[in-house]
Order: sequence, then structure tokens, then C-alpha cells
Amino acid sequence: MRPIILNGHERALTQIKFNRDGDLLFSTAKDHVVCAWFSANGERLGTYHGHQGALWTVDIDPTSTILATGAADNTIRLWEVRTGRLLKTWDFPTAVKRVEFNEDGNLLLAVTEQRMGYLGTVVAFNINSDVDGPQEDEPIFKITFDESKATVAAWSYLTKFIVTAHEDGSVATWDAKDGSFIQRVQAHEQDMLITDMQMAADRTYFITACRDKTAKVIDVNTLQVLKTYVTDTPLNTAAITPLKEFVVLGGGQAASEVTTTSQRQGKFEARFYHKIFEEEIGRVKGHFGPLNTIAVHPAGTGYASGGEDGYVRIHFFDKAYFDFKYEVERFQPQEVQTTA
Amino acid sequence: EDLYETETANKEVIEARKRALQEWTAWRQRTEKQLREERVARGLPADPFEKFKVKKEEATVIE
Repeated sequence: MRPIILNGHERALTQIKFNRDGDLLFSTAKDHVVCAWFSANGERLGTYHGHQGALWTVDIDPTSTILATGAADNTIRLWEVRTGRLLKTWDFPTAVKRVEFNEDGNLLLAVTEQRMGYLGTVVAFNINSDVDGPQEDEPIFKITFDESKATVAAWSYLTKFIVTAHEDGSVATWDAKDGSFIQRVQAHEQDMLITDMQMAADRTYFITACRDKTAKVIDVNTLQVLKTYVTDTPLNTAAITPLKEFVVLGGGQAASEVTTTSQRQGKFEARFYHKIFEEEIGRVKGHFGPLNTIAVHPAGTGYASGGEDGYVRIHFFDKAYFDFKYEVERFQPQEVQTTA
Repeated sequence: EDLYETETANKEVIEARKRALQEWTAWRQRTEKQLREERVARGLPADPFEKFKVKKEEATVIE
């Protein structure tokens, strides 16, 4: 499984995202440029220029028509994927840390940073799918966090809820129609920052990655923690694989933070755990710094990781990966597969 | 990659895994059924991406 290495960023990667077909990969980094890549061969399709600060986040709508990005220049920008044309800029008083389209691609949420005089928020915008049509200036609602700021957020199945994950290790759900509060659960250790949250393909459950060195699989409806994956390093990212019952975790201590010898070259690893049995099953080495972001190909055929080292590595799984099964899984009738 | 089998696990571990697998499978089936019913109740196709597939085919025809 030789990886494809994408060398197009000059600074640490912050987020990578496949489009729904998985043929394209979008990446953001602290270097102000958004890159689009062909995932099959790592060729660069193009770049999106305009942001005036580090980019924190990227998402692509379900038709691969519109790209959304958020940055330290306090803007969300919408881009036409095909041409690189800037469609809309929304300005905020603080940085935009996470953007995400809902499953229909007609709504976009954004997490804005907390800073002196400004509380953290989540805002939701209507999205006009017509690239030549206007986009609304104002959000449909804003959720303001007066206790613990949200670090990441996501839409549930059927756009019922917005799920937020927080600096204090809690997760919460909000009504996606008006942003009213539903419930909050202390899913991770108190005051341990949740760094990433990614939905399962059908958006009925999600995985969180946390500085408390664990990742958790959580039910969107009840916020019940279903699974916990224990590691030995602070986690920056976690993803759920379709096809196989695995999760992929990434993290690592930055060289500046460690006094031991773990900054050996190329030793930073993506860790594979069995989603149901919560056991580690394998690691993939390669990065020269902590893994900041992992995305799994929507068909479950591969994954990509973005590192503090400025590289993106795309891996396609080999036969051993697809064949791997625990003994108890071999004798179990196959779960009804919904590829939705 | 370095996938490795931990098949030396004793009987208790295997029983625990069986239970975990059964619980997970049961929960998934309940959740997926509920999701299908909610989609049907709202008059939506079972697959949330169906409309995008149709759109893509049309786009191909135009080309």
C-alpha cells in the first residue's frame, strides 16, 4: 500500500475532505491556500486564492459544485469548485474554525472562535445551489455559547440536529430548525478539548477525537457514548470507515512539546481500531509530525491524512485490509449494509 | 498494513466480542429501520443521495 504524497502546502494541514464520489480531495492549511486534488493519482486540480489568513476548515457540497472554507481572516468563503470563482464572503468578528454542509447541501454551518469581547458561536446559512444566483447575507440563526465554546460541529441525519463538541469535553445537540438547545453530555474528560467530530455515512452516529487521548463513538439521538478508543497520545482527528467496521485516529505530540524521542522522522502514525471491539488493529507510519486531519474515502477504499509536517498522504487499502476479520465476525450473519 | 490477528484470545474475550457484535448489530438495525421510516414519513427516498445521482445522470446527457 504505497501512499500518494501530496506536496502542495507550505504549512501544517488543518482539514482535508473528499467529495461525495471520492474522486476529489480538498485540503486546507495554515498557508492561506485551498488545494483541490485528484485522489486517484495525486495530481493537483487547482487552488483557491483569496483568504488573508490561515485556513482552518473546508467542506464540499454533495454535488461537488460549491466549496466552503473558513479561516483566521474571520471569513467564510464560498467558491465555485470548477472555476475557482469566489461566490460569497461572510465576515465575522473572529476566526472560523469549522464549516459543514448538511446532507442536502442547502445549509451550511460554521463554528466561530471565542475571543476577548466575543463569545463562540455556531451560525447556519441557507445555501443557494445556483452558482450564478445570490447568497443570503444573514444567517438563519446563531447559537451563542456563554459557557464552553464549541470547537467543531456537524449536522445529523435528515438535518434534524446540529451537534456541537466543546472545549470542555462535552457534546450537545441543538434543533437544526432554530438552534434551540436539546441536550448536553460530558462525553470526554472534564476540560479536555474535543478536536474533531465526523459523522458516520448515514449521520446517525459520530466519532469525536479528544485531547484526553480517547476517541468516542456517540449516538446522535441520545448522545450516549457507544464506544471508546483509548490511545497513548492526544488526538487531533478521528474518522469512521465505511465497508469495514473500523475507525481511524490521528494525533501525536508536537516535537516542541515532547522531551522524549518520539519525534523520530516519519514515525507519526494513523491508528486503526476495530469500531465494535474497541481494540487497536494496526498503524500506518509516515508523517514527520502529528496528524492533524484524517478523511476516509466515501467508498471505504482508502483514506488520507494531513500532517503538521505540511504533507497529505493518500492510502488505498490492499487486500489484507478488506480480508481482515475477527473470528467472531466470520460466523456472524452479515449486518444489513446500508451504504447511505 | 500491519494488521495483525489477536486470535490467541481466550474464551471470555471471544464471548465478550460476540456480545459486543450482537449489541452493535441490533442497535444498527433498529437505528437504520427508524431512519428509513422517518424518511418514508417525510416522503423522501430511502437513499439521501438519490436526487444527486439523478442530477448527475442528467448532466452527463447534456454533455
